[in-house]
Amino acid sequence: MHLLAAAATHSAWLPAAWLAPCMLGAIAVSRPEPGAGGAAEIGALLPPLLDSAYGTALHLTRNATDAEDLVQEAALLACRGFGTFQPGTNFKAWFFRILTNCFYSTYRKKKRGGTQLELDDTPELYLYCQTAAIGLHGQTEDPARLLMERLDAEQIGAAVDALPEEYRVVATLYFLQDFSYQEIAEVLDVPVGTVRSRLHRGRRMLQKALWVIAEERGIIRDLTAADPPPEA
Amino acid sequence: MHDHYRLTCEEVFARLDDFLDRELSEEETRRVEEHLAACAACASEHRFETGVLDGVRAKLTRIAVPTSLRAAILRQIAGGTA
Repeated sequence: MHLLAAAATHSAWLPAAWLAPCMLGAIAVSRPEPGAGGAAEIGALLPPLLDSAYGTALHLTRNATDAEDLVQEAALLACRGFGTFQPGTNFKAWFFRILTNCFYSTYRKKKRGGTQLELDDTPELYLYCQTAAIGLHGQTEDPARLLMERLDAEQIGAAVDALPEEYRVVATLYFLQDFSYQEIAEVLDVPVGTVRSRLHRGRRMLQKALWVIAEERGIIRDLTAADPPPEA
Repeated sequence: MHDHYRLTCEEVFARLDDFLDRELSEEETRRVEEHLAACAACASEHRFETGVLDGVRAKLTRIAVPTSLRAAILRQIAGGTA
């Protein structure tokens, strides 16, 4: 792939912060770049993360080709910088820090379109209020399940992709990687409070995006029809 | 903190996101759970929010990395980075 050649030159200018320890309080131990032993070590740590890295990259870049390039570039940089990884610390957070930094430095500049929704100022409990307003709470004891079962993976992915970038990145790390607030803060090198506020606000925006998509795809119309489809 | 102090609906609402994310302290978690056990309205909102989060988490696409890309990365690792 063309990125192999391009990324091969990255280690010379790779910012040290990209490869900085992700676990607070860890003691830096300088290690050589991966020779046979290092290759075996990263060969055990990295492959299990590739599927989730690609899924994350898809939501960050919103483009399959860019997602492949992003994962490959991050993997190459991780191999080259593996000497800075501290054994016993959080390799997943360390690798995703490289991945998100690659995204911020390169792929965000492409400004891919994606769905543009007006999501600012989405109130709390948006979906709860909307589903109550259409009478869904009187139909079932579990209106959230009734709605979410009718939204498919593509539609939910589209709602995440509709979030503004700073909220989309945090939401992707939260939903796809199950990272804690602290781990996301370490990956993005931002305060935990910033993660918390972006995540909470992003989730409100996500609820509005889900509602808009459910309306556009006729899901709300079906749910409010005279004979609503039975619960699955 | 007084033993008899109970969180109000507003105080629970302010903690709901952190509670959903299991980011509250043990003590705060216990107090929110105590309120939810006694307040049907807050419990209903909590159940709904949990259902939405679980639905998103369960259905967000977890696509496998393309085989050719996985193979290329494994070759990178096996062959070193030169």
